[in-house]
Amino acid sequence: MVRLQIWLVTLFASVKPIARLMHTAWGWPLAESVHFIGLSLLVGTVGLFDLRLLGLGQRIPIAAMHRLIPWGLAGFGINAVSGIAFLLAEPDQYVYNPSFHVKVLFIAAAGVNALTFYLTTYRKVTANGAPVGAPPAAKAMAAISLSLWIGVIIAGRLLTFYRPFPCQPPEPGFLATCIPGFHANWK
Amino acid sequence: MDSLFRWIESSALSVWTRESTSLIAYPAILSAHAIGMALAAGVNAAIALRLLGAASEIPMAEMRRYAGVAWIGFAINAVSGMLLLIAYPTKALTNPMFYLKLSLIAVGLALFVAVNRRLEQWTSEARTWIGVALLVSWGSAIVAGRLLAYTYRRLMAG
Repeated sequence: MVRLQIWLVTLFASVKPIARLMHTAWGWPLAESVHFIGLSLLVGTVGLFDLRLLGLGQRIPIAAMHRLIPWGLAGFGINAVSGIAFLLAEPDQYVYNPSFHVKVLFIAAAGVNALTFYLTTYRKVTANGAPVGAPPAAKAMAAISLSLWIGVIIAGRLLTFYRPFPCQPPEPGFLATCIPGFHANWK
Repeated sequence: MDSLFRWIESSALSVWTRESTSLIAYPAILSAHAIGMALAAGVNAAIALRLLGAASEIPMAEMRRYAGVAWIGFAINAVSGMLLLIAYPTKALTNPMFYLKLSLIAVGLALFVAVNRRLEQWTSEARTWIGVALLVSWGSAIVAGRLLAYTYRRLMAG
């Protein structure tokens, strides 16, 4: 993994124009603002859909509530773009950051959870004449989705408290959470 | 003013919030503030999008059932925001951006309450404008909040 991390950092660092833009006076603050707006859009729509599956606002058909999801995807898209901009601008501050590892893991898990929902109960809960209440499996996935997105926010907010510094001995093992120097073993 | 700031900064709660290395001090409060923001601004965005014609299958009267979620977000942020203010009173209160942020939140809150109370009295044109105003006020409140980290002139009075 350490080799992969070093390779990723080198790759991201080779994309210069975005990094230059991000390091102008307004680049970083603006990208952060956009990232926070995107996360609000995502949680405000996907989160409400999850709450509907869990039983809040039962008079709204689940299919109607699902109409908000494209806006959540838009929020996710906004954050993927702004997030990649951070990553390209300061690759080692993310690739070696344990909080970033957790954040990426949670986002991936939320993706798998959403995919499972669409492959299993989505058709049933949004069909014409579907029952008002969602089945337990859908509720479980909704609860998982809510928890994971809250976890993503927390891991994102904690990034600054786990900023990696150049590695001190002992050197990194499986996954580096400090910035490795150019050591012969890693080349 | 400086003596007031110094007095707050030297209080036990301020020192703990600012200086404790515990994850439940500053990091947890910041996380709570981001979660509260997502709930408050996010639900307001969903209501605004509905007012602008998105997801029109959702009965607007029922959409207001989710107002409670936004109120939970406001409550989380009132408490976490107060703690952040107690930690760094000089940093916030000497920055004009902080007052702009509070004003934008006040506008957003007033619009949110208005939607919950008297939506039925509005024409469809009025609903569109309220939707736009909701998006603009909450969006710019987020931007102003984020810019606080970049625009302060003094960190502490003491």
